[in-house]
Amino acid sequence: MRKLTVLLLLIITSIQLAPGQGLYSPGSPQDDGRFAASTKQVNQFFRRFNGEESADGKKRYYDTDAQFRDRELRGKFISVLFDNETSSVENSLKSEFLKDVLSENLPQYLNFHKGEWFAEVQTTFIFKGKKEEVTLFMKLQPEGLGYEWVVDKINFKPFKNLFNKPEGDAKGFLHPLSHEIGFMNLRKAFQENDKPESYTPKEYQPDYLTIFLYEMKNGNLKFDNISDVKFHFFQINNWYFELNQFNRPGFNTGWLISNLVKLDAGDKDVVQKYIYDQK
Amino acid sequence: MKKYIPLFLLVFLASASITLAQSNDISPSRKQAIDSLALEKVKDLSKYITIIGSKETQFSEANRVMDRAEELFAPDAEMGVSSINRKEIAYYKVRRYFERLMALNYDRVNITWYDIHYISDLERQPDGRYVGVVTVYQRFEGTSLESGLNYRDTTKKDITIYVEKKQTQIAGRTIEFWDVMLGDIRVTETSA
Repeated sequence: MRKLTVLLLLIITSIQLAPGQGLYSPGSPQDDGRFAASTKQVNQFFRRFNGEESADGKKRYYDTDAQFRDRELRGKFISVLFDNETSSVENSLKSEFLKDVLSENLPQYLNFHKGEWFAEVQTTFIFKGKKEEVTLFMKLQPEGLGYEWVVDKINFKPFKNLFNKPEGDAKGFLHPLSHEIGFMNLRKAFQENDKPESYTPKEYQPDYLTIFLYEMKNGNLKFDNISDVKFHFFQINNWYFELNQFNRPGFNTGWLISNLVKLDAGDKDVVQKYIYDQK
Repeated sequence: MKKYIPLFLLVFLASASITLAQSNDISPSRKQAIDSLALEKVKDLSKYITIIGSKETQFSEANRVMDRAEELFAPDAEMGVSSINRKEIAYYKVRRYFERLMALNYDRVNITWYDIHYISDLERQPDGRYVGVVTVYQRFEGTSLESGLNYRDTTKKDITIYVEKKQTQIAGRTIEFWDVMLGDIRVTETSA
């Protein structure tokens, strides 16, 4: 009798617990391979780039697995980690990149914590009652017991237009004997000239992030939304690539390399300056 | 809670093979056990969403299921929803998202889940908790009998999971186990 009660209870419980409607329920639609092929997270991009998951994506390889970072597996993965539909990365450039990354003597891997990669987030803020686009450059930094993403730089047109330092004859200056008159000419410089940045050193760079935070704290800038996210990688020696998310039909989707540049000496700074666009 | 006990034990046993005081790194075997627990919670969420969305679910039952579903989440968790035509994110508190799902103006709603998932690595955040993301895909079909219109979409759901080492007392003994809570969910309409 007791066994029967337990059996009945089990049957009743199983009816309640298995409505057959959740993930992996009988009758779930089957992926035709598109979702499996898609690089679904940036994390999966790292794994595939490094050869740290099986070809079918079902197994995560660790350094104790024979297939971990297998050169052949990586080669297959990396060649499908490019946006092959809309980006125009030359095949010869891809081959050169693959050769460098898969080098037998010095293979190169991506490392989540190693730096030299950052996110570019397109956002909108309400500034003085108007919706404005703001680009946030985010980087990962160690903090406390782990890591956190922080805003490293920002790009905001209304701020940039504030600091157009005039050049040549148009630029005001404080003459070199201003000190002898106790800098009394500061009044003219600041009250009769709307370009106070004229009186700053050549190397002066406005710190847009500080102004941005100041305006937010004063209630003049309010977060509105996010419209796009992409990533910039400088981790591979002498190479830069951009990672974008492609949401479209087919098998070449998810987080893919959309831009690849071989860097010569000095190019890295130039590309970074171009991306950050702080001037 | 009771249904998770075997999984808690599994996670506990997986962690027991490693000296607890040694470090807070998560070994591959422990990670696998945590993944199973996380996936169980995601499966529960998927089941609850299906029930809440179904037009056959009574109002009182849907509310009860919403309560259960809310229990899976860490406080202040939000859903961020975007579509192919609207890249901007619409933010909803979890409860509000469920209520909107329940109130959708269709005569028939069928929510199913693709047989695929992806679980990220776990990263440690400044407060010592671990965080990961589980990706699943959902198919939604809504039918309006009056207009005969059929709406169908497939959404990708990137679900934050928080993993934390907790302690409990069992028969006077302190047992450590790893618990998983769900956090913010990014919902993106796919072109599939």
